[in-house]
Amino acid sequence: MEKCLGVISGANIENNFGALCVHRPVYMLPYAGRYRLIDFSLSNMVNNGIRTVAVYTGEKVRSTMDHVGDGKAWDLNRRFNGLFLFPPVSHGLSAKRTGEIPQFYTTRDFFEQAKEKYVFINHPNILAKVDLAEAFKFFRESEADITFIYKKQSDPYGEYVNTQKMNIAEDGEVLNIGTNLGTEREFNMYLKMGFLKKEVFIKLVKEAIERGESDNLLETILINKDKYKINSYEFTGHVENIRNLKSFYDANLNLLKKDIARELFYTNGTIFTKTKDEPSTLYTEDSVVQNSLVANGCVIEGTVENSIIFRGVKIKKGAIVKNSIIMQKSEIHENAAVINSIMDKQGIVGEGIRIAGSMLMPFIVEKKQVIRKD
Amino acid sequence: MIESKVVAMLLAGGQGSRLKTLTKKVAKPAVPFGGKYRIIDFALSNAANSGIDDIGILTQYKPYLLNSHIGIGSSWDYDRNMGGLRILPPFTSEDGGRWYTGTANAVFENIDFLDEMNPEYVLILSGDHIYKMDYSQLLHAHKEKGADVSIAVMEVPWEDASRFGIVNVDEENKIVEFEEKPENPKNNMASMGIYMFNWNELREYLIKDDENPDSDNDFGKNVLPMMLEEGKKMYAWLFDGYWKDVGTVKSYWEANMDLLDPLNTLDLYDKDWRIYTRTRNLPPQYLARGSVVKNALVNEGCYIRGTLKNSILFSDVVIEEEAVVVDSVVHSDCVIEKGARVYRAVVSEGMTVKAGQVIGQEGSENIYLVSEEGISVE
Repeated sequence: MEKCLGVISGANIENNFGALCVHRPVYMLPYAGRYRLIDFSLSNMVNNGIRTVAVYTGEKVRSTMDHVGDGKAWDLNRRFNGLFLFPPVSHGLSAKRTGEIPQFYTTRDFFEQAKEKYVFINHPNILAKVDLAEAFKFFRESEADITFIYKKQSDPYGEYVNTQKMNIAEDGEVLNIGTNLGTEREFNMYLKMGFLKKEVFIKLVKEAIERGESDNLLETILINKDKYKINSYEFTGHVENIRNLKSFYDANLNLLKKDIARELFYTNGTIFTKTKDEPSTLYTEDSVVQNSLVANGCVIEGTVENSIIFRGVKIKKGAIVKNSIIMQKSEIHENAAVINSIMDKQGIVGEGIRIAGSMLMPFIVEKKQVIRKD
Repeated sequence: MIESKVVAMLLAGGQGSRLKTLTKKVAKPAVPFGGKYRIIDFALSNAANSGIDDIGILTQYKPYLLNSHIGIGSSWDYDRNMGGLRILPPFTSEDGGRWYTGTANAVFENIDFLDEMNPEYVLILSGDHIYKMDYSQLLHAHKEKGADVSIAVMEVPWEDASRFGIVNVDEENKIVEFEEKPENPKNNMASMGIYMFNWNELREYLIKDDENPDSDNDFGKNVLPMMLEEGKKMYAWLFDGYWKDVGTVKSYWEANMDLLDPLNTLDLYDKDWRIYTRTRNLPPQYLARGSVVKNALVNEGCYIRGTLKNSILFSDVVIEEEAVVVDSVVHSDCVIEKGARVYRAVVSEGMTVKAGQVIGQEGSENIYLVSEEGISVE
């Protein structure tokens, strides 16, 4: 995998996450008690031997700078290769045209100068512990120009409407990628990740700039699909396609299922993240915690059920937390109740306050929001 | 904020033989403590938090785990271009190889290192103790008094005073006498083994001490009394806070249990004085339906289906269904199998308590140490 560059390109779907993504890109959403979505993508690349990674950060770059930094947590702070952060530049060409192609074009030196001959592109809002070394082998051996990765997703209830659907010929050739409308019980979900030959990637980007047909890489590939050999690689493991609030909420609560947690946390290597040096979590005499994932640094004096508790959260005596996601350093005071909710970082639910959403539409407490009786 | 150049020398070579099998494979500073730390993390974090830029770590006894735990010091931000952390093991030279024969000898053998650093002050620390201390305050007091040596002391209960090195002072806290483990102590101010020296003075006396064939080359026993005798200005600096020297298995167990009191004075949750350690990158802990967890400190990666009361779990511990763990300290990577019961135990790293096995006894006075060598009663 030393021959392959890793590229993270953020999806432009922040509007789907309401208050949670006012200040952060989607890939920086806190997930699973102590991680950000991007940790899964970065760790999987590093665990599979990719040593040079470019991150196209998008506009909301501050939380990324703070969290990813020089890439130390992923051993990407290297003298040779390592991590490259590309915040959007908006002068010249990319001032007139938005989208990923102008960003790739303005950073083409990075691709041209790298000694790696292949590129792996992925969007961190889709979590899948793909064995990239295996997929890369398939890509190389099949002599394809481009290999897209997909999963056969069963979807009897149409929960995956609006995700990307891949149409594949019998020999695995990719015919097209469109939008899933839920017409089939099972469909091939495109995981927004794939390998490209670097020369093909650079050619596609340059041609797209010249022709102006599209500023989106996938569209560009599909417009030119007849010129290249594009095949598909099936991933059979668990996938979380985090595309809106509901799927974000479900993806967190899914971690309470042992098999899913095992796979996401341990298969193909563990997940690295920026560490916070919190002490262990203290459960007091009054704590009752059932079926919950709890990170370090918490003090739990109340009742917690079916929930994900992030680092440094305080849940006071008599408080009840149920079916909820409580992010870093939030506090739930005495006799408060938080049901079917997502609390963003450092929120406070005051004494005796009760908040509740539904499991279909969780209630959101914004970052640093304080809810108190006055 | 440290304004003068201080080099800390952290003594981390001790065996801690009274900790029995806990130090079978590792030096005492590497013994796990408090759910996620090793004992040395406290001194190292204190040094980092006090703004000390240069630190030498003197290792000797079974150093492998200690070395890999410390690495290049990145957990404490000691991986630096300027200054940073150096591990200083015993070495051979043209006149043969020598082990460190005492605390003072360990520093003496590294005079070349200190000469190269050329500090104004040398701070001697021990990697055996659990406490939080701002060494810059000790330095401040040292400078204010114009002392040659300042020794951190703390008040111990009178009945324990005869177990410590006792420091007798005048009304200005100037030291007038040392008493090593006195039968009838004149006061209860015990030396904590933390010394701030002027480097030029220390250098001189280390050489003098080395020239004396009858010396045990120990700071407390030899070097400090000699300096006092020759009229050096030595002051006691009174420390008021949590401090534990976990000498025995029982005191080790007790010190861990102290942390279950949310109001304990060590306060690991203090954001302004974090204790840092090497992390293992494990996922959060999971508490299953049916689990009972009361009055417990639990670390990342743990998976709990059974009952846990008054206990401390290190990382990646599994407690299976119907298993019960009470009044115990369980180190990393242990598995307490279905229906097993563990009372008043210290379970060493990587052990499996078999299904249905019972260890220890509720309400007993004893502590049960579980290791590869079986169960010993303390």
